[in-house]
Amino acid sequence: MIDRAHLREIDWVLVGLMLANTLVGILLIYSATFFSGGGQAVKQLVWMVVGLGVFFLTITIDYKVWMAFAPYLYGLFLLFMISLFVFGKTVAGARSWFGFAFMGGQPSELAKVVVILILARTFAEYRASFAAPGMIALCFGLVGLPVGLILLQPDFGTAMCFVPLLLGALVLAGMSKKTLIVLLLGAVVLSVAGWEVFLKDYQKKRIEVMINPAQDPRGAGYHVLQSQIAIGSGGLTGKGFLKGTQSRLRFLPARHTDFIYAVLGEEFGFAGILFVTAIYFAMLRRIFRSVGQSRDRSGIYITFLAGVSISFQFLVNILMIVGLLPITGIPIPLLSYGGSSLLATYFALGLVVNVKMRRFANV
Amino acid sequence: MTDKGIYEDFSQVRRRAGVVYVIVGLICAAALIWYWKIQILDFKKFDALSVANRTRETELPAARGILTDRTGTIVLADNRASFNASFIRENTKDEAGSIRRAAALLGLDPAVIAARIEKYRSWPAFRPIVVKDNLTFGEVARVEARKNDMPELIVETEPKRIYPRGTLAAHVLGYLREADADDLKAHPERLRPGDVIGKMGIEGSYDERIAGRNGTLVEIVDSLGRRQGEVERIEPEAGPRLALSLDCDLQAAAEELLAGKEGSVVVLDPATGDVLAMASSPTFDPNKFITRFTPEEWQALVDNPENPLLNRAIQGQYSPGSLFKPVMGIVGLMTGAIAPESTIYCPGAAEIYGAVRHCWNEAGHGALALRDAIRYSCNFFFYTLGRRISIDTIAQYARMMGLGRKTGFDIGGEREGLVPDTAWKKTTNDKVWYPGETISVAIGQGQLQATPLQMAAVAARLANRGRGIRPHLMRDASGVIPGEKPLDIPASIFEQVIEGMWRSVNLGGTGEAARVERFDVCGKTGSTQTISRETADRIAGAARIKKTHSWFMGFAPRRQPRIAVAVLVEYGGGGGATAAPIAGRLFALFKEKDDRSRASSGN
Repeated sequence: MIDRAHLREIDWVLVGLMLANTLVGILLIYSATFFSGGGQAVKQLVWMVVGLGVFFLTITIDYKVWMAFAPYLYGLFLLFMISLFVFGKTVAGARSWFGFAFMGGQPSELAKVVVILILARTFAEYRASFAAPGMIALCFGLVGLPVGLILLQPDFGTAMCFVPLLLGALVLAGMSKKTLIVLLLGAVVLSVAGWEVFLKDYQKKRIEVMINPAQDPRGAGYHVLQSQIAIGSGGLTGKGFLKGTQSRLRFLPARHTDFIYAVLGEEFGFAGILFVTAIYFAMLRRIFRSVGQSRDRSGIYITFLAGVSISFQFLVNILMIVGLLPITGIPIPLLSYGGSSLLATYFALGLVVNVKMRRFANV
Repeated sequence: MTDKGIYEDFSQVRRRAGVVYVIVGLICAAALIWYWKIQILDFKKFDALSVANRTRETELPAARGILTDRTGTIVLADNRASFNASFIRENTKDEAGSIRRAAALLGLDPAVIAARIEKYRSWPAFRPIVVKDNLTFGEVARVEARKNDMPELIVETEPKRIYPRGTLAAHVLGYLREADADDLKAHPERLRPGDVIGKMGIEGSYDERIAGRNGTLVEIVDSLGRRQGEVERIEPEAGPRLALSLDCDLQAAAEELLAGKEGSVVVLDPATGDVLAMASSPTFDPNKFITRFTPEEWQALVDNPENPLLNRAIQGQYSPGSLFKPVMGIVGLMTGAIAPESTIYCPGAAEIYGAVRHCWNEAGHGALALRDAIRYSCNFFFYTLGRRISIDTIAQYARMMGLGRKTGFDIGGEREGLVPDTAWKKTTNDKVWYPGETISVAIGQGQLQATPLQMAAVAARLANRGRGIRPHLMRDASGVIPGEKPLDIPASIFEQVIEGMWRSVNLGGTGEAARVERFDVCGKTGSTQTISRETADRIAGAARIKKTHSWFMGFAPRRQPRIAVAVLVEYGGGGGATAAPIAGRLFALFKEKDDRSRASSGN
């Protein structure tokens, strides 16, 4: 399936940016956890090596083949998530950690990539210049099924990450502004209903506190305030590597996962934020640029949705830790600690590179 | 191979993707502006906050409410400050080494400390874990001296429960234990791991009322977790001072009279339901449980075959034996099976339903009316009643009198006893009721079972000529049985039975030993023969098991009764010989106190 012509076309710049961001992440994870031994940084390094294996396996197989397998993978993941209710062990209140498989991994991370594949497959032959109602309904079904299962776990943050995939696919298909408005209004109605029905008290509190973090500095607003203090006290150049007091004093919860950017802000200051945001955005830019370099429609969808997914998580995370969005437990791909998140991201970026290197038809 | 893709025009799709990319870029830029704002413009504010923001929050445990006797002056449960050595995991990098050093300093086995820390591994690392409590002043000094090089080990103070009177009223007061997983699940809002919770007795049943409310202390700590100052302190709210209904003199006397025996004494105020004394023997010292670290002593108590933790007054179920005869008398009069003056002949022994039955007096009592049948506790009189009245009617009246159901006592764990009838036998054994069984029930034997508290409540009901009370230990609790209507039994019928009980004590009956000059004690003795084989196997000393349980219940004075008593001594022999004198001493003590208080108040 792979030959030298393909290898020459690998987007090494994107691969380089991916590795650079991963290494920055490992550095920050080390700083966030070294007080308790820094073992997570070493683990993340191991995951990176495994991830590279996944990456090269991904690009070896034509993305068309991946898409052909997508329905099976999709079905498998649905079964998998249903089985969570039977065997899943509860970690931090959510059932999403599958104890046996994936060495303690989160299948919903990989499910995101599978949904990207199945959406790309769905739109592969779609020629219309606007999104037909039937198509919209189909997309809702395809995305809604795993989202529903993840919400039941309950893992609000991970479920949220599927919404941009749905909207992204519809926008790309040419959803009219009117439909978009209707959908957004529907979302508002649903979220009001969801507020009453689905959201747990702790989640409600998080959203309420986002509106006014000072209202409850010891409760849910605590985390936002702590992370703001950590970032703000970093100043221009930061307190220096391993010198952060806020993150080291463990006022920050989940500082190696959701609050990794706060560690960056405290220890490397605004300069560090600028630098990392720059190389992260460079990677996003590279992905979005690749959208125009695909030979077919499904390739466009894969690349675009991968870009949207990673952008969404990155933006939501960096906004939530400074109090501009509620704390929903969404990590930054590549930067935050987490094996399954890293593998899923390498899989997604592998598909992006895959599409681009096979952009010349009939090769 | 054809691929339609190369012939397609994707410019529209690409343009849409481009719009999304631009939006991502704009949000990114906006985020950077915000970061610039808080990191550069607000730097001073957040820098100051970060310096101040090194706080640690700890819980300030509340003192439990003080428990007193009925006068409110004698303290039965108090608190004193106790020093605990606690371990803070996050203040050490070398946990194993710290555990070794702490163990050496406190004179403990490192494995004990390691096990404690393991138990609370899921806590946040800054939360102190108590590794030793009740430190001596020497130990406090040693830990404090190492404060700087061992920041992981701190001294915390905590109000600690103390029962100044030791074993006095132990079963009534209950005891405290460290909350277990079930407790934590039951009270997530109130309890944190490591908190103590009341178990058994008043401490258990009124735990929430007694516990008070914990406070919070927010401290500034340096990067090693050492205390630098205080930010905020919410003082704990101690539990309220609560008066129990106990009379300490009666309680102490009851326990003294039971010492060395197994049994129970319950003393009630028949007017209010106040429990004036409740003793169960053998007993235990609740002070022993307060520490978190006495697994051996605890296990020894749990394993003790005489079961000192059992509150026999409410959890021991015994055949009431002859104490049931006054109830039978009421049934007989109410059903018309006998009239007050009708006599029944007691031959001493005779065949009933094909089996030879004996009266305890083998010579026989001759012809007796009800009042003397109760006075001499004649079995034949009541055998005959048992032949004349159906078991279901007997059971109906027994329940009316408060048997076979919980008294509604305000501390938990009460057993309900058993009143057998045909329906009961059908459901439990699927067998028909034999008339011979009714004969046994008629003298309080057979399957009939009651707790000492129930028998005291029966005595109080007789004293009140039918009005039941709900026994209670908290002084301010209600003595009314919820939903109970006045019994449909005329007072004159009670008077017949009470006449018998009065004769039993005052006219050379079986209850003579309970007699008190000028106090008109009315009572009934009982000696029950039944003993379960398991109990017999469990108890050492074969001679004892042949003895009967010794019972007494009664009240005084006959007019306007102020005290009702039930005494049970396991394997105590005859009721008249063992239980009645104990009751007599309690009646005498009560009268003496009563006279004294009346004299001092000028009446």
